[in-house]
Amino acid sequence: MTGRENGQRQQGSRTSMHEATADDQHADRPHPRELAAIRAAVADLLSALPQRPQRLRVSIADVTIDLDWRTLPGPAVPQPAPVVPTPAAVGDGTSGTSTPVTPSVTDPPAPGPDQQPHYVCAPTVGTFYHAPQPGAPSFVETGTAVTAGQQVGIVEAMKLMLPVVSDRAGTVAEILVADGTSVEYGERLIALGPANDEQPQAE
Amino acid sequence: MMNSRKRSDMFRKLLIANRGEIALRVVRACREMGIRSVAVYSTRDRDSAAVRLSDESVHIGPPAPKKSYLNAAAILEAAALTGADAIHPGYGFLSEDPDFAEACEKAGIVFVGPPTAAMRQLGAKHSARALASEVGLPLLPGSLEPLDDEAAFDLACDIGFPVIVKASAGGGGRGMAVAESADEFPQVFRETRATARMLFGDDVVYVEKFLRPARHVEIQVLCDGHGGALHLGARDCSIQRRHQKLVEESPAPGLPASLLSEMGQASVRAALAAGYEGAGTFEFLAAPDGSYYFMEVNCRIQVEHPVTEMVTGIDLVAEQLWIASGHPLRLTQEQVTARGVAIECRINAEDPAHGFSPAPGVIRDFNPPGGPFVRVDTHIRPGEAIAPEYDSLLAKLIAWAPNREEAIARMQRALGEFRINSDNVRTTKDFLQEIMADQRFRLASHSTTMVEQLLESPANDRSLT
Repeated sequence: MTGRENGQRQQGSRTSMHEATADDQHADRPHPRELAAIRAAVADLLSALPQRPQRLRVSIADVTIDLDWRTLPGPAVPQPAPVVPTPAAVGDGTSGTSTPVTPSVTDPPAPGPDQQPHYVCAPTVGTFYHAPQPGAPSFVETGTAVTAGQQVGIVEAMKLMLPVVSDRAGTVAEILVADGTSVEYGERLIALGPANDEQPQAE
Repeated sequence: MMNSRKRSDMFRKLLIANRGEIALRVVRACREMGIRSVAVYSTRDRDSAAVRLSDESVHIGPPAPKKSYLNAAAILEAAALTGADAIHPGYGFLSEDPDFAEACEKAGIVFVGPPTAAMRQLGAKHSARALASEVGLPLLPGSLEPLDDEAAFDLACDIGFPVIVKASAGGGGRGMAVAESADEFPQVFRETRATARMLFGDDVVYVEKFLRPARHVEIQVLCDGHGGALHLGARDCSIQRRHQKLVEESPAPGLPASLLSEMGQASVRAALAAGYEGAGTFEFLAAPDGSYYFMEVNCRIQVEHPVTEMVTGIDLVAEQLWIASGHPLRLTQEQVTARGVAIECRINAEDPAHGFSPAPGVIRDFNPPGGPFVRVDTHIRPGEAIAPEYDSLLAKLIAWAPNREEAIARMQRALGEFRINSDNVRTTKDFLQEIMADQRFRLASHSTTMVEQLLESPANDRSLT
């Protein structure tokens, strides 16, 4: 239970905000009361964060919440450990609690100078594969530059092969889940670092 | 023909393919029976009561039901992932989908519900009617076969207006409409077909006489698949809005015991003829002249099952699991006795002043009633967001008493204690109080049109503040 509580505090705040705003789908513009609720939820979120972000943007229709963690150049500030729940396997049969799961979109990036890791997440429950077939080379390796829309893996659900596609350009920082592992919907599979713009594609 | 597992064992691990109060209800049954429970949840429900109280949980998809609770592949993957040996589908979602039941069977997982063939036959309303007619259940005048426009019009004129057009694949009060006259009929027929195609992907509709006034009375049955079958008495569910139930009670008041017993026996006969297994409900309309007519079968646990539990003392979900794990019934018809009266009120996030339109939002205060013989089945906590994607049921409030008068008084007391506050969520709570106070309901002279009459009554200005 501790992992869930520690790892999900930020998510909890964000979830409630998401829900408050999603209810506005029925109205053309949000009610003042709802705006007040959103403001309160944002204040809650900020107070729950381990570190104050540089910028926070909230847009209402379709709900965008943008946190900018870039730190200004200057003396190095000790960074708190990134709040990243481990994508643990489900059903270990011992915990007796639910497994913490990451949301599917806009994960809070781990703080770091000029580092905004982005996560490619599982499109469904199933088994994650690194390669198109056993023995074949993996779609990507650590360090591979990927473009938006590029396939980076497969999740197999009921004999259906669903491509895992990167939703943005970047460089594979880490493959977080081993080949052939069961994953839940929205589980983080691959961490992407920024695309290296100065260095044109080597190949 | 479920699978090769040893059928006398109880399940070790059960996955609940549902959300809300019914998921919690099944989690609780599992806990009491020593079965490990697995909740599946959409992103919206990540902190739900079922997720918190189950032994394990699996995130199966985004909020949209199609991508989560209706996503058979994701649910079966979750079962494989956790090693669940059975799936309880709850009500709604995949509970009456024979294709899903079949997929479970193929995957070697027990589906807690009737066999696929029985589900197919009883699930489609026109084939259920055909079966009912074979075993001698009285049917309202109408069609047994799917009809084209012209034949339907001729039939409607033959049986006389008003008639009701129903989607064969329909359920939960959706996909049906009443035609009051021949002028209205062609349009109602076309629209119902279009609605059926849109909602259920199947535009087969049928036509039957619309009985008015009438009471909605249903019989709960249990069948074990070994030839054992019994009924657990009747529920009256006549208080409805838009063909959806608001108040249910057991036993059905003001109807002769001989009639109810006849309906019970007829239902058991029909269930056995269909090869039914598990808990099911046979729905009837009862006319003021003492006649009754078969409507449809619900092949699942129902929202209103607690009223039957409260008067019989039988845990229906536990019996479902007992039967699905291959056991013969552990009760006989003689052992089923009903004591007293139980009433259930559905507290929905809906605005009675605006046609019971769903009113989603965040619940600020939520303080359910307690006290003697009061049961509240709910998944709501203070701060809970009522999502627009799912149904509007917030809580089922059930009150038991030795007789109907005291049960109504207890329900009024409990409704009065129930505190739900929200900036934008409207609920049916106050409207339910009006029903409890209404003479027609108190004297059990109500019918399926009572909610409409209450709303139309000019003395009744219902502008909620």
